[in-house]
Amino acid sequence: MILTPLLRKFVLTAHVTFAVGWLGAVAGFLVLAIAGLTSQDAQMVRSAYLAMELIARFVIVPLSFAPLLTGPVLSLGTPWGLFRHYWILIKLLITILCTIIMQVHMPPIIHLANKAASTEAFSADLHSLQIQMVVAASAALLALLAATTLGVYKPRGMTSYGWRKQYEERKVSPDVDTTT
Amino acid sequence: MSQTNVKPDRGSPPGTPRWVKVLGIIAIILLVLFVILHLTGNGFGGHTLSMEYWLEQL
Repeated sequence: MILTPLLRKFVLTAHVTFAVGWLGAVAGFLVLAIAGLTSQDAQMVRSAYLAMELIARFVIVPLSFAPLLTGPVLSLGTPWGLFRHYWILIKLLITILCTIIMQVHMPPIIHLANKAASTEAFSADLHSLQIQMVVAASAALLALLAATTLGVYKPRGMTSYGWRKQYEERKVSPDVDTTT
Repeated sequence: MSQTNVKPDRGSPPGTPRWVKVLGIIAIILLVLFVILHLTGNGFGGHTLSMEYWLEQL
């Protein structure tokens, strides 16, 4: 199935918006995680974890699933394909990995937010979770930056499957250039 | 995303590009580092907690 130019532009716009929005939301999340870990102001710490839960629940989680839908639609709807080029395959793997990591970290985020909402003081055993938030958000930010870079630069490199498919297509219709 | 410039010839399939190999090595190093940190008890401990919280949610 090949997308029409108008539909392709629409899906591409949605994909870029979701992916870059996700990156921005994770950057904001990281700033709050650092503030929650390092701030001496108790009110600031509580506010940070409450805001982190909201951002994670209503921005990051939905935005992490959206590119998983628009990305494959875009690649399968164009001659690029989903498994033909290394950069698309690696971008897909990064997106899947980041989405899983986000889901794994949701319960600790909720736990920290619940503690922040209660009146009791942050105990020392929460320190490891606070550090985990900073590390996970930093790793996610780096991974998403790598995915964005791959999407912009589109480095050369065709998989064996992609090479075989393109060769077969050119063999079937030698006059038609399937790459355009 | 409308054009691909790679046009394979009729020879053997292309080898894995160098940038993919470098990324793969970096990924393996990070994975090994992660496993070593957890096995030596220097991990953050949050993943075990994560599982507990998941089970609590259920």
